[in-house]
Amino acid sequence: MKSVEQLYRERPVNRFGRVSTLLMLGLVAFAWTSGVFDFGALFTERAQGNFTRFLTELRPYPLQGNAWDWGVAGEWLDEQLSGKVGAAILATLAFSIAAIVLAALMGLAISLFASRNLSSPEPFLPRPRAPTPTLRRCWDAVVWLSRGWLIFARAIPEYVWAFVLLIVLGPSAWPGVLALALHNAGILGRLFAEVTENSDPRTSRALRALGASRFQIATTAIWPQSMNRFLLFFFYRWETCVREATVLGLLGFAGLGYYILEAKAALYWDRIALWTLIGSLLIVAGDLLSAWARRLVR
Amino acid sequence: MRLRSRAILVVGILLAGVVSAWHLGLDSSSIWPTAERWTVLGRFLSAAFMPTLTSQSDLAINIVPRTLQAMWTTVIFAVAAMSLSLVGGIALGVLASERWWSLFPVPRAVRPVLYGSVRTLIAFMRSIHEILWAIGLLAAFGLTTVAAVIAIAIPYAGTLAKVFSEMLDEAPEDAAEALRMAGAGSLQIFVFGLIPRAIPDMGAYAFYRFECALRSAAILGFFGFETLGKYIHQSCGELYFREAWTYLYALVLLIVIVEWWSGAVRRKLTVA
Repeated sequence: MKSVEQLYRERPVNRFGRVSTLLMLGLVAFAWTSGVFDFGALFTERAQGNFTRFLTELRPYPLQGNAWDWGVAGEWLDEQLSGKVGAAILATLAFSIAAIVLAALMGLAISLFASRNLSSPEPFLPRPRAPTPTLRRCWDAVVWLSRGWLIFARAIPEYVWAFVLLIVLGPSAWPGVLALALHNAGILGRLFAEVTENSDPRTSRALRALGASRFQIATTAIWPQSMNRFLLFFFYRWETCVREATVLGLLGFAGLGYYILEAKAALYWDRIALWTLIGSLLIVAGDLLSAWARRLVR
Repeated sequence: MRLRSRAILVVGILLAGVVSAWHLGLDSSSIWPTAERWTVLGRFLSAAFMPTLTSQSDLAINIVPRTLQAMWTTVIFAVAAMSLSLVGGIALGVLASERWWSLFPVPRAVRPVLYGSVRTLIAFMRSIHEILWAIGLLAAFGLTTVAAVIAIAIPYAGTLAKVFSEMLDEAPEDAAEALRMAGAGSLQIFVFGLIPRAIPDMGAYAFYRFECALRSAAILGFFGFETLGKYIHQSCGELYFREAWTYLYALVLLIVIVEWWSGAVRRKLTVA
């Protein structure tokens, strides 16, 4: 029987994890000592005065400086929301749904080219004759190009995509939808490609032996068996789409964020807080719906 | 899930997409650019192939130092935000786990109230986007870097706490059981039996969130902080697309490096 010391010495040590953690701790220490962040700035007299004034401005406007009255608060709420809130929530939801469906379609299309088992000279079957090096290199290039595109699409945050596309494409709903769709296509495309690569090759092999094309293999063998996982990822990303759609309005798109933008221009903090809270309720509702849908497909 | 109901779900999703697109007025005429739009689009796309290293407004200015500085600031913001959200996320994650409350002589009926209220707080933190937290905090405290970092840290702490509490509740019980047999106290079991079993997963997830924090830090540049977003905002606003692409590529490079790093850490931590 081994002694405790022996067991301790023979325990699995993950050196890469340790070096990474140390490097991260070093970065943390550097960040906080670099002088970029000054906690004192939160506690200067000016900041404190600003903060207390901010808190009073969060109260509904008719109640600022008065005692709380539910009747007045209700009237204010009604005035703020009537005729707006339903349309704003609908627009936000429409943005998230249109974007995630578009993202899933784009991701699905690119995942075909990004998965190594489909993008190869002879998918699923050993060929009597080895493929020529040129052919092999061409298929490798297809894989790397599509993966590079996916990395690029997901590296740029939705908000930045939306801002850039708004300038390039001009005002319509397209830049917002495309922004959410591009970023999420980058994420979903990679996840779909991983699922495709890990799919059971037996059906694909049988179909290939019968002469099926790559596309036929994907639609009849790979997608049916991977669809549950695809849907899992789809709902997981839809959740973040709802979250992002609430802030897209800050760039001028329709939706909840638009009312925040409007109130921010006039510095109506009570309204900003109200619309932020409505957005947060929508996001919680989206989370619950997505969790329910994911339990359904699991 | 039955195949037929799955097919109905997929068709439903596609229909929802079409209805949403129709509701937003997404048609080909609103994306098909006018002649003037074509030139902007053409300039934007062709600039992708020739990012510049000198400023487009003043050719004498080399933007490489500025780009590197912005990349570094982005990293520093993300690191600072992550360190704050880890502290908050671990504390709240422990308090939101069922196992933590089952260690103490709390009546069984009260426990769901305790972790339930912490989970509600976590859900609230997560449900407000970091940009909105930033708008509020910057209004409250002025344009200070600490406020920006806290704005990222609040929703991230909520996300980390949610995931950490699930990991703690699902961590293998073997070590905890052994400690209980040896007569360890409740707190000892939790700290030395459960937390070490959950740490690899927690670390892997924290590294993944760091990647997201980088993107959030870059976006906060839109509010005037010296991260990459500031320069993307500036150069795009002035239609200096070649410059904009330099900053966009810098952001992509940063993300690719960290994605590789966090991916490698995750593979090592979760497989071993």
